[in-house]
Amino acid sequence: MSLLETIAVTKQFGGLTAVNRVSMHVDEGEIVGLIGPNGAGKTTFLNAIAGLNPPTSGTVRAFGEDTTGLTPEKMCHRGLSRTFQIPRPFPKMTALENVMAAAIFGNRRKPPRDPVAHSREMLEFVEFPESEKTVSENLNTVQLKRLDLARALASSPRLLFLDELAAGLTEGELKDIITIIRKIQENGVTILMVEHIMQLIMNVCDRLVVIQFGSKIAEGPTREVAQDPKVTEAYLGKSQ
Amino acid sequence: METGVSKHEMGFFSSVLDRLCLTPLGALLLVLLALLPLIPPFNQQYLLRWLTIVALSAASAIAFDLTAGFINIVNFGYAAILGLGAYTSAILAVRTGLSPWIGIFVGALASGLLGFLTGLLTLRLRGIFAAVMAWFIGLALMGLAIKMVWLTRGPLGLRVPRMFDTSSNEPYYYMMIVMLLVVYVICRWVTRSKMGLAFKAIGQNMEAARTSGVNPTYYRIVNFTLSCTIAGWLGGFYAHYMGILTPDLMHTSKTVEVLAVVYIGGRGSLWGGAFLAFPFLIAMELVRSGFSNLPGLHLVIYGVILILVMIYLPGGIASLYYRFLYKPWGKFWEFMVGYKEND
Ligand SMILES: Nc1ncnc2c1ncn2[C@@H]1O[C@H](COP(=O)(O)OP(=O)(O)O)[C@@H](O)[C@H]1O
Ligand SMILES: [Mg+2]
Repeated sequence: MSLLETIAVTKQFGGLTAVNRVSMHVDEGEIVGLIGPNGAGKTTFLNAIAGLNPPTSGTVRAFGEDTTGLTPEKMCHRGLSRTFQIPRPFPKMTALENVMAAAIFGNRRKPPRDPVAHSREMLEFVEFPESEKTVSENLNTVQLKRLDLARALASSPRLLFLDELAAGLTEGELKDIITIIRKIQENGVTILMVEHIMQLIMNVCDRLVVIQFGSKIAEGPTREVAQDPKVTEAYLGKSQ
Repeated sequence: METGVSKHEMGFFSSVLDRLCLTPLGALLLVLLALLPLIPPFNQQYLLRWLTIVALSAASAIAFDLTAGFINIVNFGYAAILGLGAYTSAILAVRTGLSPWIGIFVGALASGLLGFLTGLLTLRLRGIFAAVMAWFIGLALMGLAIKMVWLTRGPLGLRVPRMFDTSSNEPYYYMMIVMLLVVYVICRWVTRSKMGLAFKAIGQNMEAARTSGVNPTYYRIVNFTLSCTIAGWLGGFYAHYMGILTPDLMHTSKTVEVLAVVYIGGRGSLWGGAFLAFPFLIAMELVRSGFSNLPGLHLVIYGVILILVMIYLPGGIASLYYRFLYKPWGKFWEFMVGYKEND
């Protein structure tokens, strides 16, 4: 059974169709990569599913029910977490408090007995490099991405969206992230990730969905899709 | 969140204080406030009267900060909502003879109900738009107080039965200090609980809060309701202390005064504004009476200090405390400021 299924999901901003009738699915336990050039509509698509910016039309089915247009907090309670392309933490809170917010309010299905300990575990899990007492407005982007991942994991998601988590990482950090993503998968979390970094995509994704100008142009096992001429063309920006 | 030392590491005295969310230093300042009426020059009735009003402003600063400093919405209708509590209790006392001791709680309920509605009305609005909406509600309320002369006597002023049957200010002063403590403890309890974390989350980043599972509707309404209930309660006291009520109590400039005190004192600290209110508002009162030929001068001073603080000291006086006084300077000082190693 698919954990997530979208049927002809469309998102328009005024006259601009940012996402155009995208149908796709993510099966339980999979890691699916959502790829496509900048501005293709990937983030908008994630937002449409996660409730931050509900779809104009189309249907979203997650966890076996119709979740089209549900609020972000309801999606979170049902088991969907996401990280942000540009991490947006709670700037005046410490790193620990940032994670605790999700541990306490997002974790309806498996409320941790000790939210503080649970949050510390999450920070450890993502190998957060700073003290948990650091106020998050003092963190740099790479540190914020780890914090955002810890926050997203703190609500014990069944389905996790990662939006360009690895952008801007060094070679060493990339290896760490690959290990971390694999560990998340081993813990039974299904992942849909927007990513540009080929090394990461080829390493962890079972399947790829490619979108360009808001429409799905290819879908399939990672290796096949990566060799699809349509896809390489999309990336090289050749016009049909 | 309570991640600090566990309760049994503390002495009995500190753990009682901790329940009250007070450090020994804070408790000492409270004792000082309690002794103030005995110390010249504050043993003079007119100064005690100032002090009582200042303590009332300090308490209203705390409840204002609950909204401005936590969920990051400036309730520009705050003074009007405080006034609603004042008029409710006053009118009940005048019309039905209800005891002020009950009336101030009915006033609190009325203000709380309006706070609930304000929270509901501003729900879909963000930051400045919510502030403007709350401002309109405040203006409408003041308009009603001015126009409904048959009920409020409008600008002529409504005579209100006083709370204590005496012309001396001491009973009022002590009652106000107790109310100040109660307001502080309630707001502290709430903000150091899980609810406080939710308030901060929706105040600092609505999208991240919602994505993390925080329901903004619920917490915003709870916050507004609580803050306004407290304002109404304080308004009731004001009515039965002053003995006369006019609609200018509800004017936006009164909200701005509270706002200035809270921002200069340190937004989100709760105690910063309350602490600052005493020296600051007394100084402002001196300016106002000393330069009575320059009306509005004190408002200009408010503005200038507010701008300087916003630019050079965004954390307000409270941040100075944490930078300069909250230090491990020996056992005694650590005890006084409730210093915790792992904070
Ligand atoms: N809130 C918005 N309002 C209007 N246009 C938007 C909004 N968000 C995204 N867009 C537009 O939608 C398109 C897709 O953007 P986005 O989803 O961020 O792309 P990607 O994540 O694939 O790089 C872009 O053209 C972008 O300008
Ligand atoms: Mg994007």
